[in-house]
Amino acid sequence: MNAARYLYCVTQGKKKMTFGKIGIDEKEVFTIPYKDLCSVVQDCPAQPYKSENQEQVKSWIVIHEKVVEMVWKRRNTVLPFGFDTIVRSVQEKDAEDVLKEWMKDAYGILTQKLARLRERAEYGVQVLWDPKIIGRRLALGNEDLKKLSAESNSRSQGIAYLLQQKAENLMRKDLEREAEKFSREFFLKMNKYADEINVEKTKKSEEGRQMLINLSCLCVRDRVKDLGDELERLNAQDGFFVRFTGPWPPYSFV
Amino acid sequence: MEFRGRPHGTLVDLLDRILDKGLVINADVIISVAGIPLIGINLRAVLAGMETMIDHGLMLGWDQTMREQEGERRGNRVEADAT
Repeated sequence: MNAARYLYCVTQGKKKMTFGKIGIDEKEVFTIPYKDLCSVVQDCPAQPYKSENQEQVKSWIVIHEKVVEMVWKRRNTVLPFGFDTIVRSVQEKDAEDVLKEWMKDAYGILTQKLARLRERAEYGVQVLWDPKIIGRRLALGNEDLKKLSAESNSRSQGIAYLLQQKAENLMRKDLEREAEKFSREFFLKMNKYADEINVEKTKKSEEGRQMLINLSCLCVRDRVKDLGDELERLNAQDGFFVRFTGPWPPYSFV
Repeated sequence: MEFRGRPHGTLVDLLDRILDKGLVINADVIISVAGIPLIGINLRAVLAGMETMIDHGLMLGWDQTMREQEGERRGNRVEADAT
């Protein structure tokens, strides 16, 4: 039964204590201390949690997040593990000893990380635009495009079609250039509000929107309002959409 | 607007973090070393249907109309943000 320990997070605290039966499968969540640090864990079988059942997996993930957030709230700083991080026993050492040994070896790094993350949280910032709206705006300032469209009006259907193709190509290039310029400038702007930034992969977006940039930002929690104000201004611009999420435990910065 | 209060995320935002990130421990004491990235992928596959279901539904409150329409279209499975 006690073959392995499922890991939620590392935080400050010297005491061995329990948070109650709030873990996966209603197992007890408790701390394993080493010096002034502790790992928050539960007992589990020596195999990863997996299932084909969506709701089951979803409930595990939500439990993981809830435990991490609960500890985060109480202790102010956490180093969260990803889902399904499980330590097993190795030869004669049981899982708890293995974990303590790791905490001992990593003590310096863990302490540094906790200090760096104090009073900070992770925020997701994704900027999307509507290429049609932005494209129309860019087209107004592009003389070549204006000429092309004027010319295509006075030409035969076949030629007009080719000219239109040419115009679309021009527009696409304009959009690409603008996206690059925007992303570069936006990243620099975000640097003012965040201690650290991770650039994430952009995602496929629906409903005619295109994701330009996807960032995880580590920010001082009390100062995040300024970031929100900045994003609100961008979101108010025609054709731009901002998704701003958080505060997350600092998964991207551990 | 949500920007001033506590902004909210969706399950997808959570998955991006909880499956791909987090503190790393030396590999030799972790269960199913080679399997760890696979677990992530496996879970993603299992959850893929759910992602599309809630992707736009839980988006921030700047576009209430869109969200209400989405909510109706998706049989009101969309939870509204509390704030």
